[in-house]
Amino acid sequence: MALKIKRKRETKAMIPTASMADIAFLLLIFFMVTTVFKKDRGLRIELPTATTTERLVKQRGLTSIWINRAGRITVDDNFVKPKQIVPIFRRKLSEEPGLIVIIKSDKNARYGVVEDVMDALKEAQAYRVVFATKKE
Amino acid sequence: MALFEGKRFVPEEAEIPTSSMADIAFLLIIFFILTTTFAREKGIKFVLPEQKQQEVKLKKDKLIIVAINDKGKVFINDQPTSFDALHDEIKKYLQENSKRIVYVKTHEDAAYQYMIKAFDIAKQVYQEMKLPPKVALGVIKRRTE
Repeated sequence: MALKIKRKRETKAMIPTASMADIAFLLLIFFMVTTVFKKDRGLRIELPTATTTERLVKQRGLTSIWINRAGRITVDDNFVKPKQIVPIFRRKLSEEPGLIVIIKSDKNARYGVVEDVMDALKEAQAYRVVFATKKE
Repeated sequence: MALFEGKRFVPEEAEIPTSSMADIAFLLIIFFILTTTFAREKGIKFVLPEQKQQEVKLKKDKLIIVAINDKGKVFINDQPTSFDALHDEIKKYLQENSKRIVYVKTHEDAAYQYMIKAFDIAKQVYQEMKLPPKVALGVIKRRTE
C-alpha cells in the first residue's frame, strides 16, 4: 500500500534585496552630483570672537561685505569705496527687501572703516546687519 | 558505454557575493549624512538706527557710555575700566535702572575687535538679566587740529 503523505512544502518568505545595492548607490550618486560646494570667496580675514554668536537661520537674501586688515572693502568680489556701497545696496534691497548684510571684518581692522560701511548701509536703508564672529 | 562513465562536467556558476553591497552603500550614505556640516553664517545681529531716529535725545542717566579709545582702552561713563571688569560694571548700572541703554563709542582708529568685545559683553549682560538687548553704536572722530 502506498502511503501518500502530503509533504508540506515550506515556502520561504523572501524580500528581493538584489536591487537594494543599486538603489543605495543611486542615492549616493544623486547626492554627490547635486551637492554644490559653497566657495567662500572674499578677503583673507581673521574674524573676532564673541560668546553671544548666533547662527543665522536665514540662508537666502544674505550679502557679505568683507573688510580686511588694511581697510579694503569688497562686495561680491569687487573692491569698493564706502560711498559706492550705497547704490549697490539700494539696488539689492529693491530686489530683496528682507536683505541682511553680513559685515565680515578683520578683527584688527580700523573701526572707522566699519563705521563708514555702516553709515553707507544706513543711507541705503539696509538696516539689518550681522557682525560675523566666531563662537568663542 | 564506458565512454560516458567519465567525470561529469558540472558547470559551476561564478558568483560575486553582492548581498552585503546594499549595506556598504547605505553605510556610506549614512557616513556622509553624519559628517556633513552645513556652512551657516554666524555672527551678532544688529539693527542700524534709521536716520530720522538719530535726532532722539536721550537723558544722560539713561545711557551707559562705554568708550573705547584708539589704544583699545575702555571707559565706562568716563571712568577707566578693563574688559574683564566691564561685565560687572554694566551689570551694576543696569541693575540700578534696567531701562538703560549701552552706548558703545569707539574711536575710529581703534581695532574693530574691541567694539565687538564690548558689544558682546553688553549683550551677555542683557541675556543674563533676561532683558532685550539695547545697544547703540557710536564713533569718536579723530581730533582735527
